[in-house]
Amino acid sequence: MLEIIDLAKRYGTVVALDGASFAATPGRLVGFLGPNGAGKTTAMRCVFGLVRPDRGETRWNGQPIDRTARLRFGYMPEQRGLYPRMRVADQLSYFAQHHGMTARDAKAATARWLERLGLADRARSKLEDLSHGNQQRVQLGAALVHDPELLVLDEPFSGLDPLGIATMSEILRERAAAGVGVLFSSHQLDLVEDICEDVVIIARGKIVAHGAIDELRAASARRHLDVEVVGAGGSWLDGRRDLTVVERRGDLVRLLVGADADLAGILAAASAAGTVRRFAFQPPALSELFMEVVQG
Amino acid sequence: MSRWRSVWLVARRELIERGRSRAFLLSLGLTMGIILAGIFLPSLIGGATGTNRLGIVGNPPPTFYAQLGVISAASNVKIQTEQVPDEATGEGDLRSGSLDGLLVVPSDGGLPTFVVKERKNGSLGQIVGASLSSGPSLTFRELTPADPNRDTSFLFANVGVILLFISIFTFGTWVLTGVVEEKQSRVVEVVLSTVDARDLLMGKVLGIGLLGLVQLVLMVVVGLGAGVAARRFTLPPATFGAVAQLFLWFGLGYALYSTALGVLGALASRMEEASNAASPVSFIAMGAYFFSLIVALDDPSGTAARIATFIPPVAPMVVPLRTALGAIEPWEVVVSAALTVATIWVLFVVGGRVYSGVILRTGGRIGLREAWRISRQ
Repeated sequence: MLEIIDLAKRYGTVVALDGASFAATPGRLVGFLGPNGAGKTTAMRCVFGLVRPDRGETRWNGQPIDRTARLRFGYMPEQRGLYPRMRVADQLSYFAQHHGMTARDAKAATARWLERLGLADRARSKLEDLSHGNQQRVQLGAALVHDPELLVLDEPFSGLDPLGIATMSEILRERAAAGVGVLFSSHQLDLVEDICEDVVIIARGKIVAHGAIDELRAASARRHLDVEVVGAGGSWLDGRRDLTVVERRGDLVRLLVGADADLAGILAAASAAGTVRRFAFQPPALSELFMEVVQG
Repeated sequence: MSRWRSVWLVARRELIERGRSRAFLLSLGLTMGIILAGIFLPSLIGGATGTNRLGIVGNPPPTFYAQLGVISAASNVKIQTEQVPDEATGEGDLRSGSLDGLLVVPSDGGLPTFVVKERKNGSLGQIVGASLSSGPSLTFRELTPADPNRDTSFLFANVGVILLFISIFTFGTWVLTGVVEEKQSRVVEVVLSTVDARDLLMGKVLGIGLLGLVQLVLMVVVGLGAGVAARRFTLPPATFGAVAQLFLWFGLGYALYSTALGVLGALASRMEEASNAASPVSFIAMGAYFFSLIVALDDPSGTAARIATFIPPVAPMVVPLRTALGAIEPWEVVVSAALTVATIWVLFVVGGRVYSGVILRTGGRIGLREAWRISRQ
């Protein structure tokens, strides 16, 4: 298990991390969310010793993370980069050896991953001769080639086309299913809701929410209530100051209510105005939850 | 995995990737070409087009002119003879350069003498001597007699400093651009997720340095070999020591300058800023180079040269130069080398910290003061 414990880091007057703590469990896909500048990249860099925190520590399986532990991690930084003039296979093999593999094992692993990423025929090409999408694949390969126990990916989906997103999702799910810890940051909240089990949300250097997505949604004090009364528009709501309208489209009204809202009373009021075609009570989507905790 | 394996992996990548790069092969071919041309061209050109003017005082044996004609034609050396009234006039012509050699045949039947300005033109003297072979043998005399190895030592000292400067700076600059390339392409963040920043810098310096050493060894072997083969010089007894010191001081000078350049490279974000960032070190290197070629070469035992021996950035050029000229005490070499090693170590510890602190910073060049502040965070 990856544990981030009370990390704090300042750059001059800018606070990047302000006592952030969370854990990521192997076998579960963990999305790491937060607005720009919230501290995601700094937290990830702390895991790899690229940033020395002012306070706090990072642990893997209960032990402080050191150089030896990092050899079993895979990292994909936000700013992508490989050696432009180095051949693709040499490049992956080089990184595999830096993770402690022998030259022979590194070569075999490189061949296996190039095959898996659909790049077997480009093994001897220079990186700069590959298309942007293929360079992204090589970058993912560099994080995966040594079969890491923990994958930390900073914005792995940014800049990918739908096909690339599908491949990336599939590989991340497959790695998690194989028992690998997978933590990745993203701004694509719907995608995260789709593929992740857990999320960690960070804002202004602090963790503002973390846990299983379903539980976080259920635990929210707010609910959406969609009500559609045929031909009534929103007239039945007149005078109901206790109900907040979020959205109105024709006869359909989306209300923001508490989890303990008086559903029977609202339904009665709606029924009195006409035929109720829709009455749906649901927890907020991840994107709404995100807005809620980040702005709150 | 040990740190040394990381350092070696980095060094090996530099060796392989740069060793087969067009830039290295081109630089290798070009320097070899320049060395060979420098050695062979003068004798080819001199032999083919230059005419040697030989002044003669007195009357040589009757067969002399015929033999001279035959032998000079056979050895492809053009010789033009002219009668000179007396020895003093001939020596004046030698000094002014209107004569290349002067043959003095005494009227009393004594031994003829062959006079040159300085020991340079070997072939003319040999031909004159051979043309006289049936008669009395020949004595040689120089107008400015010197230590027989002086010219060669001077040549070695000169060429040595130039070779050192070129080698140190060429490969030091590769470290500089290599660091900036890694930073600009952002690959450095991936590398640093497993490799310590200082180990990355050390591996880079080591790998590129090995390439530099390969090139230097080739240059020296080819240069000395070709020089001996072309009879441009004979190796003085101090050759081995001088060459050994050339390699030693390449190692020390390169380690010193390339570490400094690598650290400065980390301050730049883009290649365009690299030469700007490197300017303090380039400035020092140029100063050391011109000091060695102008001041130290002129007076290798002088106070300035002795002081410079103990200034690490200058030592890598001044010490081998003074060694080649035989103007240095062994203890000076030892102390100077020790001082330089100590400086490299300090630079590596301090510079390594700065390098680690700024290598992930992007967005514009970072000043040295700013870098130092960051590295203490």
